[in-house]
Amino acid sequence: MSSESMALAIIFVFVIGITIVGMVPGMNKKMSLEEWAVGGRNFGRWLNWFILAGEIYTAFAFLGASGWAYARGGPTFYILGYGALAYLVGYYVLPAFAPLGRKYGLMTQPDLVEHIYKSRTLGILTAVIGVAFLLPYLQLQLTGLGLIIETCSYGQISRVQAMLMAFSMVAVFVYTSGLKGVATTAVIKDVVMIVAVVFFGLYLPIHYFGSVGGMFEAVEAAKPGFLALPGGTKALDVGWVMSTLVLTSLGFYMWPHFAANSFSAKSADVLRHNAVYLPLYQICLVFPMLIGFTALLVLVPALKTPDMAFMAIVQQTFPGWALGLVGGAGALACMIPAADLLLSTSMLFSRNVYGKTIGKNTSSESMGKIARVMVLVLTTIALLLAIYLPNMLVNLLLTGYSGVTQFFPMLVLGVFWKKATKLGAFCGVLIGEILVFGLILGKMDPVPFLGQHLNAGFVALVINMVVFVAISAMTYKPESNKG
Amino acid sequence: MNPVKVILTLIPFIWTIGMIPFVNRVKPIVFGLPFLAFWLIAGIFVAFICIKCLYHIDSKNNQDS
Repeated sequence: MSSESMALAIIFVFVIGITIVGMVPGMNKKMSLEEWAVGGRNFGRWLNWFILAGEIYTAFAFLGASGWAYARGGPTFYILGYGALAYLVGYYVLPAFAPLGRKYGLMTQPDLVEHIYKSRTLGILTAVIGVAFLLPYLQLQLTGLGLIIETCSYGQISRVQAMLMAFSMVAVFVYTSGLKGVATTAVIKDVVMIVAVVFFGLYLPIHYFGSVGGMFEAVEAAKPGFLALPGGTKALDVGWVMSTLVLTSLGFYMWPHFAANSFSAKSADVLRHNAVYLPLYQICLVFPMLIGFTALLVLVPALKTPDMAFMAIVQQTFPGWALGLVGGAGALACMIPAADLLLSTSMLFSRNVYGKTIGKNTSSESMGKIARVMVLVLTTIALLLAIYLPNMLVNLLLTGYSGVTQFFPMLVLGVFWKKATKLGAFCGVLIGEILVFGLILGKMDPVPFLGQHLNAGFVALVINMVVFVAISAMTYKPESNKG
Repeated sequence: MNPVKVILTLIPFIWTIGMIPFVNRVKPIVFGLPFLAFWLIAGIFVAFICIKCLYHIDSKNNQDS
C-alpha cells in the first residue's frame, strides 16, 4: 500500500468508527428531550469526566497550541495555567448549578439565567449572545477539520469534501444519540489524542535533539528569551498572561455548552470529585507545545501558517501511516467538540429563542423534534459559512472567550449573592459585551496599561463586575426577591 | 467561611497568577523544561493537592451534617 492510501485508509477508519460508536446509545430507543439534551441527568464519574475533560482537546489544543509555540514562544505557556484554576472555580460553581437544574428541570444556560432572575427577556438575551459565540466556534472546528484531512490525505480529499463527509456524520450521531453519543465518543477521542500527542511530543524532540531538555537548550541558544515572556511577540507580556489567566479561569465554565454538561451529572459530588482530578489532565497540553518548539528549529524554510507546524514536522519525519494517525486523531479532535457545540447551539435556539418567543405553546415532545431538526439545520448553516464565507465569523471568534466570560458576574454572583438584581445583570452583560467588541474590533487588544498590557476581555470583565454590583446594590429591594 | 478553605482556594491562584512576574525566566531549566513552563506545571500539582484537600474537608462536613 502506498503511503498516501495508507494515510487515507487510517483517516477513514477513525471517522467512520467514531460515528458508529456515537450512534449506538441512541439506536432502538426513543429518547425524551431530557435524555437527549442532558443525558437523563445520570452521568456518573467516568462519563462526566470525559465530557468535561474532552472539551479541552479540541482543534485548538491540537493545531493551535503547537502553532502558538512555533510562532509566539513563551506566552503559549499560559495554556498550562488556566485549566487547573478553572476547575477550582468549577469546584464551587458547578455543584451550585447542578441541583438547581435537577430541581427546576433546567437544561441550558439561559434556562438557568431565566430561573435566577425570573426574567424571560434576560434568558433570551443570554441565548442570543450564546448562539453568536457558539456558531463561529463550530465553524472553527469545521475549518480545522478540513485543513487537517486535506493535509494528512496528501490532498486526495479536498477541504470541502472532508468537511461535508465528517460533518454529516457528526450531525447523524448527535441527532440519534444526543449527549450520550457525545460522551461515549469523547472517551475514544481522548485516548487517541493522548496517545498521539504524547508519542509525537516525546519522540520528535528526542529524535532531533537527544532529549526534551536538549531541545529547549537549543531553542534558547538560537533565540534567547523566546521561551519566556513576551517571547516572539511584543504585547503578550507578564501583564497580558496574568490578566488572560484571570479571564480564562473564570470564563471557562461560562461557555454555554458546559452548563448542559454540568446538568448531566448524577450528583453534585460527581462534579466535585472530578474537579479534583481534572487538573492533572492539563499536563498533556505540554506535548503539542514540545512539537511546536521542535518544528521551530527543524523546519526549513519557515512556515507561512504556524498552525501547520504539527502536521508539517510529522510529514517531514515519518512515513504516511503516521500522518494518517495524526489526521485521524485530529479529525476526532474537531468532530467531538463540534458535536457538543452543535447539541448546545440547537438547544439554545429551539428551547430558549424559538420556545420563548414564537413557539410559546410548543409541547415538550414536539420541542424535542424541533431541537433535533435544528441540529441538521445548524450543520448546514455552519457548512455553508465554512465553504462560502470562511472569514465572515472571524471577528466573532476573536471575541469568543472574552465574550462568554462576561456572563460570569450574572451567573455566579446571581447564585451566590442575594442582592443580585435583574437590572444589574442586564447592564453588566451589555456593557461587558459592548466593551469586548469595541476594544477587540477597534484593535485595542491587548490594552496598554502602566507599561504592560492587559487582555481586553479582562478589562471588560472588571467594568462589567463594577456596574453589576453597583446597580444591583442600588435596585435591590428585600421584599421583591421573595416571590 | 472556613479559613482553611479560603487559604486552600487562594494558594493555586497566587502560585499560578500572582507569581508570574517573579518566574518569567528561561533558566534554570528544570526537568528539561524552561523555568516558566516548569513553574506552571508545578502549579497544576499544587492545584490538584489543594482541591483534593478541599474535597476531603467538604465530604467530611457532609457526613457530619
